[in-house]
Amino acid sequence: MLVYPQLSTGTLTQFPARKLRRMRTLINTLSDLTTVKLADLHGATTEWRLEYAGLSNEEASALQAFFSSTEGSLNTFTFLDPMANLLSWTDRLDNQVWTTGSFLTLTGGVADPIGGANGWHISNAGAGPQSITQTLSVPGDYVYCVSVYVRASQGATVTVLLASKRGDRVATGRWQRISFSALGDSGAESVAFGLEVPAGASLDIFGLQAEAQPAASAYKSAKTGGVFENAYFRDDQLSFTATGVNRHAVTVNIAHANG
Amino acid sequence: MSTFPQLKTGAVAQYPASRGLRFQNQVLRFLDGAEQRYRDSAGPLHAWEIQLAALDESEIAALEQFVLDTQGAFGSFTFTDPWDGKTYTNCSLATDEISLTSVKETDGKTSLKIIETRG
Repeated sequence: MLVYPQLSTGTLTQFPARKLRRMRTLINTLSDLTTVKLADLHGATTEWRLEYAGLSNEEASALQAFFSSTEGSLNTFTFLDPMANLLSWTDRLDNQVWTTGSFLTLTGGVADPIGGANGWHISNAGAGPQSITQTLSVPGDYVYCVSVYVRASQGATVTVLLASKRGDRVATGRWQRISFSALGDSGAESVAFGLEVPAGASLDIFGLQAEAQPAASAYKSAKTGGVFENAYFRDDQLSFTATGVNRHAVTVNIAHANG
Repeated sequence: MSTFPQLKTGAVAQYPASRGLRFQNQVLRFLDGAEQRYRDSAGPLHAWEIQLAALDESEIAALEQFVLDTQGAFGSFTFTDPWDGKTYTNCSLATDEISLTSVKETDGKTSLKIIETRG
């Protein structure tokens, strides 16, 4: 699959970045200002404006080569929204997008560390480790960061899962945010993100987040996720400016239509 | 019915904030120059313009999710007027768009226009 390239730093974009969400609603306004509305779900579009500066020769070449491979706006590609949590239904761990080990018990409504009640109590009654994961159709050759808030009154070592990579982290009696960053599995076209709970352990978790970057940003509650298949370059032209030796600037406009 | 999201501070708006109201009246002018005026709607409709800056990523994401949940201008929600605390139960976004800008880390900005609706 064609996938928008990460920079050598493992990020997808730089600041400032802009995203425009556009829905489509048909509105008939009557003479007394009463409105009759019809939502057009398929009419929604999303656009990103990514402004790059200080790109190295290699990064600029990679971006130019990718633009050539899509032939401008002709061919579509997968774009991972750099301003979003890639996972979906992150406050609803009982949603079917999550794959949950059969011995895991999930209970919602736990007070979370940011003042809401979107935390989950998770306990493993099995004799072996059990996991909760969400698998996304994203490239294995990317750098990702998985982060989650955890709390275990008895203390526990939990394992953050990122494809075949595993990061052990200690959960204590107070909420703390743990994260794990790694490359996915080379050549893979999907990546599973999640958390593994050791046998007999129980803990509270909140705010599972996956991002296509080396470090975690603030938690973003998400229902729809940030993986956009069939995104495309909005323009057929891409202009690079050399601002110095081994330094390039370019502005990229990417669009996605729900269709 | 959903409610317009609050920022982490509990506020729904920042300065500068603006609000307005709209009446819908009709005026008939007769041959002799006299005019007859009448109301063509049940009462005024209010509107607010919310400009937000220095938002962190969670607040930006919450506003984006709110626009997705309301499907832009389609859905209705409850909005509490930050000027006087009065609650308006039948409000919508004025447009189908939201523009979200990350200026730098924990410094996002956006703006929304909210209108009171009838129907």
